[in-house]
Amino acid sequence: MDHGRADFETFVAAGTDSLTRTAYLIVWDLQDAEDLVQETLLKVAGRWHRVRKMEHPLAYARRILVNLALDDAGRRTRRRRELTGEALPDRSQPADEQRAFDEQDELLRALAALPPRQRTAIVLRYFLDLPEAEAAAAMKCSLGTVKSTAARGLARLEQALRTTNETRSIST
Amino acid sequence: MTDQLETEVRAALRERAAQVPTASIARLAHLDYHPRTRRLRPPLAIGALATAAGAGTVAVIVSLTAGASNAFAGWTPTPTTPSPGQLANAQASCEGGQSPIAGLPLKLADTRGPFTFSVYASDTSSATCISGPSFRSVSGSTASAPIDVAAGRILLSTHESSRGGSAYSFADGRTGDGVSAVTLVLDDGTKVQATVDNGWFVAWWPSAHAVTSAAITTPAGVTTQTVPAVTIPGGGPGAGGGSVSGFSSGSGEATGGGGTVGRESVQSFSSSQ
Repeated sequence: MDHGRADFETFVAAGTDSLTRTAYLIVWDLQDAEDLVQETLLKVAGRWHRVRKMEHPLAYARRILVNLALDDAGRRTRRRRELTGEALPDRSQPADEQRAFDEQDELLRALAALPPRQRTAIVLRYFLDLPEAEAAAAMKCSLGTVKSTAARGLARLEQALRTTNETRSIST
Repeated sequence: MTDQLETEVRAALRERAAQVPTASIARLAHLDYHPRTRRLRPPLAIGALATAAGAGTVAVIVSLTAGASNAFAGWTPTPTTPSPGQLANAQASCEGGQSPIAGLPLKLADTRGPFTFSVYASDTSSATCISGPSFRSVSGSTASAPIDVAAGRILLSTHESSRGGSAYSFADGRTGDGVSAVTLVLDDGTKVQATVDNGWFVAWWPSAHAVTSAAITTPAGVTTQTVPAVTIPGGGPGAGGGSVSGFSSGSGEATGGGGTVGRESVQSFSSSQ
């Protein structure tokens, strides 16, 4: 086995966990996440002679993953709605009074409903704990854009939780 | 509120991320993402490959496959009539997920027993999908410019893979004007009749046997073209004088064992009257 191949396999062994969990949070679907990670690693493999010389190959792979995810986000969302018959989030349905409200569940639902770019910014900043500059590099946008995108995402999450709390107050 | 919210968001994301099955990560980590050894074809093949090379062809194979052995029961050397719903189910299976198929129109579907092999293609991109009980496999290729195939000729690309330890191979490609039927002859003498439609053909067989010749039917009759293999060491795009490269990997949603891909070859040849 040549050194390049060995290096790549070491990289895959070390990086797949992070890439897969990140992909799962960004696309919110396991099958899509697996496909995304495979496509990412295929691209990295094809460029490994260059990537292996980089200081942070995982950051490069993450950038590919994020861009693939965002490039394909519209199609993926449409497909999921076609498959599940899912409509836009509808909060007008009456709450099941027997159901216990779980704020974290509500937060996860709100995260799932975020626009892809906002969720991606949130994942990069609050799951991977990337500095804003690295998150901006991963999303191929400016520092200001990633800050405002994450801020808008947080605002939506906050609004969703507030709505939940108000609903809970009304129903109790 | 913001600090508290950020803390809650971190916790929620960690909880969600923890739901990824470790088996899923392990399978992804053990796939083979490397370019494969390529076997190129005879002198006439080089001519055809030169066309592809001139077009700047770059092939990228993405396979999604897994499952158990004995996976190919029901295969037939000639295409069969699809059962009710077979084509629709195959299309739904193949077009789901993120794959090279996205955005490509369906050109033809080959059915052999419970298996459906579909070819999706535009002028510069193509993707194939085999779907059968409990598994599917998708591959794709792209070219920087359309590839022309002369009348009465075919441009053949063969691929060898395995699933759960069982090898299978497929051949697909473009047909020139006038080609109405293609029958591949394998090195064990097996004859596999391809499905031909819309300027494309495809055939597959449950073994690693290589194609040795092809019988091509045109209005002028049937011509047989031998296809001796020439092994060229693998490498990056452009290695070996060609510009065709391939990558493959396996995964899947079926039983364990992982769908490893043995080797993949990109081949081409043309046939003349």
